[in-house]
Amino acid sequence: MTEALRIDFRHRQSAHCESGVTANLLNHRDIDISEAMAFGIGAGLFFGYFPFIRINRLPLVTYRAAAGGLLKRFSRLPGFNLTRRTFSSAGEAMAELDATLARNIPVGLQTGVFWLPYFPKALRFHFNAHNLVVYGKQGNDYLISDPVFPEPVLCPASDLARARFASGALAPRGKMYYFDQVDRDFDRERAIIEGIGSVCTMMLKSMFPLIGVKGIRFLAGRLGRWPERLGHDRAALHLGHVVRMQEEIGTGGGGFRFIYAAFLQESGLLLGDQSLRTCASTLQAAGDRWREFAAMAARICKQRPKPGDTYEAAADHIRQCAAIEMQTFNSLQDWSRGKR
Amino acid sequence: MTKQSPDMHTETTDKAASITDGLQTVSYTANSQGKLEQVKGPGWQPTGDVNRQAWQEIEKQIEQARNRVAAGRASCLYYYMVANQMSILLLARYSRQSPLLVLMHLIPFFFARLSETRLERYAALFQVTPEDLARGDLRPAVYFSSLRHD
Repeated sequence: MTEALRIDFRHRQSAHCESGVTANLLNHRDIDISEAMAFGIGAGLFFGYFPFIRINRLPLVTYRAAAGGLLKRFSRLPGFNLTRRTFSSAGEAMAELDATLARNIPVGLQTGVFWLPYFPKALRFHFNAHNLVVYGKQGNDYLISDPVFPEPVLCPASDLARARFASGALAPRGKMYYFDQVDRDFDRERAIIEGIGSVCTMMLKSMFPLIGVKGIRFLAGRLGRWPERLGHDRAALHLGHVVRMQEEIGTGGGGFRFIYAAFLQESGLLLGDQSLRTCASTLQAAGDRWREFAAMAARICKQRPKPGDTYEAAADHIRQCAAIEMQTFNSLQDWSRGKR
Repeated sequence: MTKQSPDMHTETTDKAASITDGLQTVSYTANSQGKLEQVKGPGWQPTGDVNRQAWQEIEKQIEQARNRVAAGRASCLYYYMVANQMSILLLARYSRQSPLLVLMHLIPFFFARLSETRLERYAALFQVTPEDLARGDLRPAVYFSSLRHD
């Protein structure tokens, strides 16, 4: 057994992997930042319904911004620099990981979850945009701070190499990253305003009807007609898929709306701004409405509907979410414009 | 088991926990002052329900694949592909060859004539031995070999 290497790194569990990894890496560099704040500054919230992109023959529904976008926004903040590398071979990628760890730097990795043996079986899908931090090595096992797990985990090198070179959509190609430069006194107010402005633009101003509030309404229109168009079985699978994308591990609940509301609350306190706290409450109400939709949808999928549980009623819940989000993001947009 | 609550945000069941091996995940829930906080729990029950629905569908597909292999209408590679939730395109990317070749290998006639090198490549991917593939043994999917190090 080779000697053990363990960097002094604080593991904190979080709801979402990318915001969790970002917050934990920044904390390691003495920047006190919560997961929700990292999610907000990184403009993590989004909505998109793309029926022409299929995952296991089901349409892509996403409640979050594109994978990697959050880290990219942080890397563009003044005073920050994120070193990112991808590789063409697993040998080279693992050697570079070892060399970076030897320099006492915890390393962020993008991986596929299917090949990670410490994941519960039920969550091992071919999803390739998972993020984690490697901060040590014991013999042939890597010590990993996986932000969606309560405690650090160990992963054999061969499995980690496989996960780093998972194939398919969003293939990580061995991607590793770490902050080599940070500004401990960065302008949080500016970063918050810009993060909120970016989310508002995506949610309200998109030209495409499948994105933002328009996308939510489009999904509602389609979802109401699924039983006639797809038949009962396929419709139930589609409905269950939407709920999984909304509520599955990594979302923090309510399709990331609760984590974003937590960010708005924290920002409101930090900046002493009541309007942000009001927006947090309305977004929380939107999250509650998304959860009511999910609970109804799950009953339909289980074939144990209560009276009034129909696809059309589920679609109405989604329309109400769209209305609340429209109002919230309009207020947030006015707020962010007033600050620029 | 964590404390049960009638609150919609924290409503959990043993069933929801069982599908994720009891993994405690984090979600955001408002406390009595309305502040959203991180709360650990085994997951929200409706999430467990829809996750179970997705797995029932996968298990149905695996059963159909077993039947096709048993009836001699597909090679055992077809079973391994379905059991590991892969499509022909994904399997082609993993095995670094053309999807057309993979499609051919799903047919028993071509699969029985595969070279040792190709069998080894498939075996390494699905974490079985080349002999398992050559004999047509249907071993469990990769994710059943999971280890927990806590």
